[in-house]
Amino acid sequence: MLTFDRYEMPATLPEALALWADAPAGARLVAGATDILPWAREGRAGDVDLPLGIDLSRVAELQGYERHGGRVRLGANVVWQDFLDTPELARWLPVMPYCAVWFADDQIRQQATLAGNLVNASPAADGTPPVLALNGELELCRWAGDHILCRTMRVEDFVTGPGATRLAPGELVNSVTLDCADGYGASFQKVGQRRSLVISVACVAALVKLDETGTRFADVRLALGGVGPVPERLRDIEDRLKGEPVDARLIADAAAATAARVASRSRIEYRRRVVPGFVRAALEEAADRARKEAAHA
Amino acid sequence: MPDMKLELQVNGRKVTRRADPGQRLLDFLRDELNLTGTKEGCGAGECGTCSVFVDGKLVKSCLMPAAKAQGADIQTVEGLARPGDLDVIQKAFHKTGASQCGYCIPGMVMAATSILREAPEASLDEIKERMGGNICRCTGYSKIIEAVALARDVVTGRASPAALDPETVGDSFIGHNVRRLDAPSKVTGRLKYAGDMVMPDMLHMAVLRSPHAHAEILSIDTSEAEAMDGVACVITADDVPGKDGFGVFVHDQPIMARGKVRHVGEAVAAVAAEDVATARRALKKIKVEYRELPGLYDPEDALQPGAPVIHDYAPDNVVKHIPIRKGDIEAGFAAADLILEDEFTTQQVEHAYLEPEAGLAYVDADDVVTVISPSQNITHHRHMLSEIIARPINKVRFIMSPVGGGFGGKEDMIYQGMLALAAMKTYRPVRLVFTREESIIASAKRHPSRVKYRMGLTKEGRITAIKFDMLSDGGAYGMSSEGVMRKAAILSCGPYEVENLQVDTTAVYTNNTPSGAFRTFGGMQAQFATESMIDIAAERLGLDPFEIRRRNMMRAGSLTHTQQKLDSASIGRVLAAAEAASRWEPGAPRMRGPERGDLGGPGTRAPCTLGARFEASKDGKERVA
Repeated sequence: MLTFDRYEMPATLPEALALWADAPAGARLVAGATDILPWAREGRAGDVDLPLGIDLSRVAELQGYERHGGRVRLGANVVWQDFLDTPELARWLPVMPYCAVWFADDQIRQQATLAGNLVNASPAADGTPPVLALNGELELCRWAGDHILCRTMRVEDFVTGPGATRLAPGELVNSVTLDCADGYGASFQKVGQRRSLVISVACVAALVKLDETGTRFADVRLALGGVGPVPERLRDIEDRLKGEPVDARLIADAAAATAARVASRSRIEYRRRVVPGFVRAALEEAADRARKEAAHA
Repeated sequence: MPDMKLELQVNGRKVTRRADPGQRLLDFLRDELNLTGTKEGCGAGECGTCSVFVDGKLVKSCLMPAAKAQGADIQTVEGLARPGDLDVIQKAFHKTGASQCGYCIPGMVMAATSILREAPEASLDEIKERMGGNICRCTGYSKIIEAVALARDVVTGRASPAALDPETVGDSFIGHNVRRLDAPSKVTGRLKYAGDMVMPDMLHMAVLRSPHAHAEILSIDTSEAEAMDGVACVITADDVPGKDGFGVFVHDQPIMARGKVRHVGEAVAAVAAEDVATARRALKKIKVEYRELPGLYDPEDALQPGAPVIHDYAPDNVVKHIPIRKGDIEAGFAAADLILEDEFTTQQVEHAYLEPEAGLAYVDADDVVTVISPSQNITHHRHMLSEIIARPINKVRFIMSPVGGGFGGKEDMIYQGMLALAAMKTYRPVRLVFTREESIIASAKRHPSRVKYRMGLTKEGRITAIKFDMLSDGGAYGMSSEGVMRKAAILSCGPYEVENLQVDTTAVYTNNTPSGAFRTFGGMQAQFATESMIDIAAERLGLDPFEIRRRNMMRAGSLTHTQQKLDSASIGRVLAAAEAASRWEPGAPRMRGPERGDLGGPGTRAPCTLGARFEASKDGKERVA
């Protein structure tokens, strides 16, 4: 059971940051709330009384998204369902809808934010691999007495371990900025015990862009989650495939190498068996969709 | 507690309340507005019984602080149709028989409503995918999905509204879909389960549970909890006025731990307070001193000489042993061409009914102690409680509230006694609603079992003898173990005529969570062993698995394992139907996996994936991907 001594709903970023700067020890930021409420239950944190909850869902500056050239900036309040319901976002970030459909369920996606998923830094977070693949960066802001101070950080550097990030005291995530990947084919693969509401045993995000002949990899983005303390971008495999012809044998060989990346604490043998298959499936599906994308254009 | 003026629209009406902004929207709707069609099944976003629309978007209200709904337009299940009426989806649920216990149904109706608003042309696969956030434990989902598809067809004009009308029944109901009488109250959320019921001046109970599996209770100090503002009473085993002890067969379980605890999660004390939060805070003020005792966690260990004794009345730790003897197994095994030996184990299983245990007790004007709860055994509970509280039977009343799923798990009186004691101590109504975690930790489970199996067969596949020895983990209390062992023994060797058999089923006490009644009542564990043995025998003897079963099956005139002469037996028809439905490839079961011709094809399910919504839609709207 979660109770708050104070619950604030700031309307602007300066208000939110000022509250956060002065927050008593134990205060928490509340984004979608889909993780904090299940956390305060028996078997996890138990009954928790927090001195202050700062609910960010009405902060104007955190709403919406905008594109700047080859990058799209997502306000921290963008929720997972937006990647399924907003055709523009789906086109710019083609891997996100495929990830979103596996994320929790239709209802939780209406509340849960991408930024919240990144900040929670679960090793099995579904959101981190696609964000790594899209060279994701966070804008981290804090209150400096009379103005807002922001810095940017790559998500790859931000997540340091299970539940651990480089978020400094007084900071909050203002936005997530990603590469636009129009024209890429994308895939998200996940293994878990059921389809909805399941924690990934392993998940992989892949993006493929083909050259003008439609037969060679012009660009490949690949990231793996759930198999170690932090999700990982597989640059060596990307480099191995770039410029090469799209070939089932080559993909299978490259995918086979991913078994060695499994560094989980549990079910290591199982994960080593499934991960190469999922990487292969992801690359093949992404390449296939890239082909269709090219035919479409 | 913080306080905020919340202004919102609920089911088309303006609502203004001063309330705690940090409370869950679920609690605000249920407690402040009494809209109890929105249920709580898990409190962790896993089950979907609390789904509501917030500004047109379906969300899980257990995951939303009420403040997030400030200014929003809320629609709950009560707002779908006019009072007394049903909308198309509710009518479809009524028509197809989609509601069974009904506890998940308001959430299912809401999820279906969301689908037909968002994707009115959704395919069956897309319907299933979009309902992934809602869990049902009764139906197996078929009738729910059927209802959504029916509603879709009516909404999109593919089916006439007359398809929602009840089927015409002629002289017989057999072969017809007969609508459930209670469905309208379930599909509208109108039906009140125990946790939905309120009475004036009602107190709320929370239970202190044991962190130890086996420990002596040296002392319980409740004084600090009792002194807290808002606490009406604290009860322990000392408050039991009569002869403590309940159980389906042996009355070995006290209302609350008496002298020692026997499993993790056993009730030790309970608080009744003005609200749940106060009651839960008071639990932390109760001081219990324990002295840990050596525990038993494996049923084999329970039978070892010198094993710790869990109940004084049962120094051998045996809850019940059921032996069955028929014929002469020595002669049977001597006549066998093949003797197979194997061991089969099954695990503990939780019922996971969507309605966590809940109850409401009060003492009425005639001093009748009344308990309302989804008990699956109210008459027995009434008799036991009368002894426990030392009141004549006419001063004890049990009212059975709608059972939001039981499956055997609500046969045990694990909390009704505490409610009665608190009501008697305060003369105020007292309600207890388990959390999901509490339900899992404190309620009985399916018996984990181990079967040592020996089966003799002739070359032709006729069973000549069976030795069947099942050891079951009964956990800390007897509950239904005796009956489960009896049923497991009676059904042990399956629907096969076996002339020589020796069957023993035994349940023992351990310090694990108690085992109790669960659908099939021991039959499942026994059949898993027997049917597996028969498949192994078919493979070893080169026989078709259906054929070997036919050679052994009971027929009219057969003697059962307990030597009852059968007038009829239907196993032959069952085998024929199963063989046809599975498109079985005849022959010995030596082929595996993709080599078999009967895997895949019609009637089999494609590998599990998601993404039906990415398929091209017919509505012409731009869809993602």
